[in-house]
Amino acid sequence: MQHASAAHQVETSTGIDNRKLLMWLFLASECLFFGGLIGTYLLYRNRSEGPPFPTDTVYNGTHYNGVFDIPFTSISAFVLLMSSVSMVLALAAIQRNDKRGLRAWLLCTALLGMTFLAGQAFEFTEFYREGLTVHSNLFGTTFFVLTGFHGAHVSVGVLILLSLYVMALRNKISVRESLNVELAGLYWHFVDVVWIVIFTVIYLIQPT
Amino acid sequence: MLALAAVILASPGPKGFFENPAYLLGIPLAILGAIGLLMAFTPIELRWPQPGRPAVAEAEMEMEYALEGHPDARTYVTVGVILGVVTLVEVAVYYIDALSGALLGILMVLSALKFLMVVLWFMHLRFDSPLFSVLFAGGLTLVAALLFVVLASLGASLV
Repeated sequence: MQHASAAHQVETSTGIDNRKLLMWLFLASECLFFGGLIGTYLLYRNRSEGPPFPTDTVYNGTHYNGVFDIPFTSISAFVLLMSSVSMVLALAAIQRNDKRGLRAWLLCTALLGMTFLAGQAFEFTEFYREGLTVHSNLFGTTFFVLTGFHGAHVSVGVLILLSLYVMALRNKISVRESLNVELAGLYWHFVDVVWIVIFTVIYLIQPT
Repeated sequence: MLALAAVILASPGPKGFFENPAYLLGIPLAILGAIGLLMAFTPIELRWPQPGRPAVAEAEMEMEYALEGHPDARTYVTVGVILGVVTLVEVAVYYIDALSGALLGILMVLSALKFLMVVLWFMHLRFDSPLFSVLFAGGLTLVAALLFVVLASLGASLV
């Protein structure tokens, strides 16, 4: 199959648009960033000396309820996953030169991203009410640093999406500029795959 | 810099550096770094293979650029539905006590499936230049090495 980049003649030594190459390099480096944070969480998992705990735990003879709310986080994960679908539909729309579709799907993606962020804010608030802060124990520190940085990435993604939406409203995105949407999409999908890993490794898989 | 590295390696620490075989993982990383330096400073112009392309009108080329190789909206929706179903299965498996013994394996497989579907279809690695796949796989390989070294050497595990 011919590469998309091959059709678009780009005068670079790789034949690939440098912006797209740079985005992939950035995402490769982000793998290490989040890998470090996930590794830190796993390293200190189950080593907290005191509540709150992520799941139901008996500590010093006392039973403590876990703070994780799996059904709620599952819905958040589903929302972020669906935002990836709407993002890729926005790209498909502009590649068909369907500017109305682009605007609709970009706005949909941004709204889903904001819904995810609202869910995260709700979750953080609930955890705080149950006594979990960034300095309460090792679980709190590693959990808030990891999910907080992910939330920051989602926030940046929402800002990029809203910027693209404003550009689309001003009719400044056409097929020629579809690479801008594609680059934003790459970033957004990456944030989604990071959450796929976090949701499974942090929330669903629990120490025995 | 080299002297500093030699001093660090020679100095006795709480645990000898070479006692832990995990240091061997540093060798491929050092080779990767050396290749990167060679590529950066070589006077020879490096060109990635570029497939031949017939001349087309500019407007036609734009459309071709935008559409070529990427799936259509129906494929994206199909992938999205599968991703949603897999997420549902993940959560269901979490609550089924009978599967608790195989929970780790099932969740890891389902998570990897979702990861691959997003990366291959939504991020177009299946359709774009292999160079992007190499870059991303390189990042993931380094993460795997990092997690292995950290978790294995410090006594942590996934479960």
